[in-house]
Amino acid sequence: MGVSFREVTKKFPDGTRALDRLNLEFDQGEFIVLLGPSGSGKTTACRLLAGLETSSEGRIEINGKDITHLPPRMRGIGMVFQNYALYSHKSVFENIAYPLRIRKVGKADIESRVGAIADLLQIGNYLHRKPAQLSGGQAQRVAVARALVWEPTICVMDEPLSNLDALLRLHMRTELSRLYRRLGKTFVFVTHDQEEAMTLATRIAVLRDGKLVQFDEPRTIYREPANRFVAEFMGRPAMNTIEGIVRDGIFRAGDIACPVDRPEGPVTLGIRPEQVELVQAGSEDAITLAVDVRELIEPDTLLIFQTGAGALTVRTQKNCDHIEVGQPVGLRFPREALHYFDASTGERLR
Amino acid sequence: MNTVKQLSRGRFLLDRGASLPLLLPATLLVLVFLVGPFGYMAYTAMTDLSYANPDQNGAFIGLDNFRQLVRNDPVFWDSFWLTIRFVVASVTVEFALGFALAWLIWRFIERQRLLTTLLLVPMMLAPVAVGLIWRLLLQGDFGMVSYYLRAVGLLSQQSAVFSTPYLVMPTIIAIDVWQWTPFVTLIILAGLMSLPKAPFEAATMDGAGPWRQFIDIMLPLLRPIIALVLLLRGIDAFKEFDKVFILTGGGPGTVSELLSIYAYRVNFKNWNLGYGATVAFMVYLVVLILCSIFYKAVYWKSPVGKV
Amino acid sequence: MNKSWKILAIGILACVLVIALTPYLWILLTSFKGRLDILSPDPRWFFTPTFSNYPEVFLGKDYLPLVLNSLIISISSTVLSIGIGVPAAYVFARTDFAGKEDLFFFFLTTRMAPPISIAVPLFMFFTALGLTDTIYAVVIAHTSFNLSLVVWMMRGFFAEIPREIDEAAMMDGRSKLGAFVRVVVPMAAPGMAATAVLCFILSWNEFLYAFILVAFEGRPLTVGIPGLITPHGTLWGQVAAVAVVATLPILVFTFLVQKHLVRGLTFGAVKG
Repeated sequence: MGVSFREVTKKFPDGTRALDRLNLEFDQGEFIVLLGPSGSGKTTACRLLAGLETSSEGRIEINGKDITHLPPRMRGIGMVFQNYALYSHKSVFENIAYPLRIRKVGKADIESRVGAIADLLQIGNYLHRKPAQLSGGQAQRVAVARALVWEPTICVMDEPLSNLDALLRLHMRTELSRLYRRLGKTFVFVTHDQEEAMTLATRIAVLRDGKLVQFDEPRTIYREPANRFVAEFMGRPAMNTIEGIVRDGIFRAGDIACPVDRPEGPVTLGIRPEQVELVQAGSEDAITLAVDVRELIEPDTLLIFQTGAGALTVRTQKNCDHIEVGQPVGLRFPREALHYFDASTGERLR
Repeated sequence: MNTVKQLSRGRFLLDRGASLPLLLPATLLVLVFLVGPFGYMAYTAMTDLSYANPDQNGAFIGLDNFRQLVRNDPVFWDSFWLTIRFVVASVTVEFALGFALAWLIWRFIERQRLLTTLLLVPMMLAPVAVGLIWRLLLQGDFGMVSYYLRAVGLLSQQSAVFSTPYLVMPTIIAIDVWQWTPFVTLIILAGLMSLPKAPFEAATMDGAGPWRQFIDIMLPLLRPIIALVLLLRGIDAFKEFDKVFILTGGGPGTVSELLSIYAYRVNFKNWNLGYGATVAFMVYLVVLILCSIFYKAVYWKSPVGKV
Repeated sequence: MNKSWKILAIGILACVLVIALTPYLWILLTSFKGRLDILSPDPRWFFTPTFSNYPEVFLGKDYLPLVLNSLIISISSTVLSIGIGVPAAYVFARTDFAGKEDLFFFFLTTRMAPPISIAVPLFMFFTALGLTDTIYAVVIAHTSFNLSLVVWMMRGFFAEIPREIDEAAMMDGRSKLGAFVRVVVPMAAPGMAATAVLCFILSWNEFLYAFILVAFEGRPLTVGIPGLITPHGTLWGQVAAVAVVATLPILVFTFLVQKHLVRGLTFGAVKG
């Protein structure tokens, strides 16, 4: 029992195909993150689930029931919007109470429910204010409270944190995580931020050009990206991907040469910046390159090299104070850290 | 390469205090040609000046004219209440019709440009021309509209609209509605078009149907624009002169003598300028009050916000 | 379901359009009708057109100079109010000074004032100056009431141009005034054109000021209209011809400024 998208396609009047035969299935009680760059169809998928858009083809089911053509209010879904979409003319209390008033909940019941959710989200002190008098973080909490107060089975969030400043974003992220564990509801969360996805999700659905690219637990997505796109999308700085050729068990591309367990032929090699090892320049098996740029991101250091086959980024926790720009450094790619992708399709190779 | 010539200070003499010479002409013009005469009028209102009576050569009589106007001038009060009734009736009907039309256009018509442009015709015509057109249309013997009104039995055979006293004001109101409903439509439509989508989507997710969304979301969001339309139309209707002057000249008798027309009659038919100034002053006062409401309540809360 | 609602809506709007346009169409037709067609008790929609009404009234009755007067008054008052009002609007948009908002409101009251209460003192004033019955009186009157419209509308347009534009121009070596004239004004040109057209329309359509200030010499077309109406024997064909000439150019202009019309009509409070 859960939510399923079956062959869902969404075409807009202007001809864009936002979703292309999307298949996605998950259980109640999960925290699902729809992740992708802009234009990947993640917001469309979430609006289709909420009922704000209708799919052109395919079906959406909740607990086995076809809801494709059900109006939003009959789906039991609460929603948090990117720009909060609070009612500017109503007080915070009335904003949160609105879904309850629509559902003709009794006066006393409204008071207690709004009070309870306001306490949970720590906005009890602002109930009399108008949305214009709230900070971004407070407005965000009100929007969440409004979406949850009537106890929907699913809570949909469309990039809810993207309008907050960096510090607040981290804080709200933790809060949402706590809220999820406490309420045990189904959350569907849309974002383009891979870090948010990694920290919040029980499972991440990576979308690209309206198609599902990979749907897995965060750890799996990070460790075994299904293709080059996912590999480069997850993790910051992005995974190094180097296009080259394997000959005699050695992968070569520009100034890079390293032993690999691959058959002959072209392949794209991937390695995460933090998994490249720094060794003595000129030592055996090491690739020796001159440092192009050095960036300090305490406590780590980023070293960037030009390889003749694109830039190579290395992230290290070692003290690099003695390394100057232009100085040659030895690098080693550990075999267990290497990813291989098909040179033409970009698909992961086993 | 030559070095770039550095600019000297001389060219920037106007920088300091540059705003005063830019602002002064406008302020002066208004002061001299509007405030000056207005002050002169305020003074005249306190004299007995009349071109019709050689004995009244402009002696200062204090507030006698105001006292006379308020206490002993039933014609003024009739005219005042007539104007109020005219304003309330025409603005109410224009608003109801205009809002409905705007909503229909907003909801159902994708290519609005041509439609709204054509709708604008009545309100862009010179008000004098509007009076003229309707005078012709409602002419007793050969008026086109009179003919069709008779054909459907709304007007009796021998009568004409403007010689039937009880029909005069309703007709003038109807013509005002014809002329100004497009104004309401145009502005409300602009308001509807500028409505944000998000609150309506939020309300949809909160479970509100179309009617609840209209009452709970759309009307409150449109409130500043609605207030604006009502006030602008109210102020304009209160000043009404041109159309009525051409259509009836205030008659028959004083049946359609709105305040502006009454002020005109006292000043330029009776040439009683002292008393006429008093009437004009009172008209201005009412509009000034409406005007400050417009400014305080509407402008700074408008969608444009504080500039 | 939805479809039939749409058809109903279109039907209603079509009816409204007919009601809105027919009266004007009728005056247009009347201006091409002969006397018998006009006086026919049942409305004549089809008739043999005559073109004699126009020459009769504009040449025979000497109404042509009135068109010229209307043009002179509208154009010169528009030029004046733009020339004086635009710099003032720029100051309102860019600088802060004590009493700014009060002065701004004061400009509004002059526009909102009922013409009759301004026209009376203005008449006395111009009588004292010996300017009544001259075209100058009307030009001045129209300039002063259009001025506030210019100030109000242009303040909005200037406010939409980021201050950084002025600042960039000044960093590039222009004086403050130079930045305004050479950089900001050209950027605000579309808004300024719309404002000018609106001023022209309002001046062209204006009746009461002109009616009170000029009786014969220098009277514009609107003031000439009542003179054609007599209790008996009004020559409606000629009246219609004057009405058409007095309104047609305005309708053409309306189409030009439609985009900014909402803004002009609400004193900048609503963007169209």
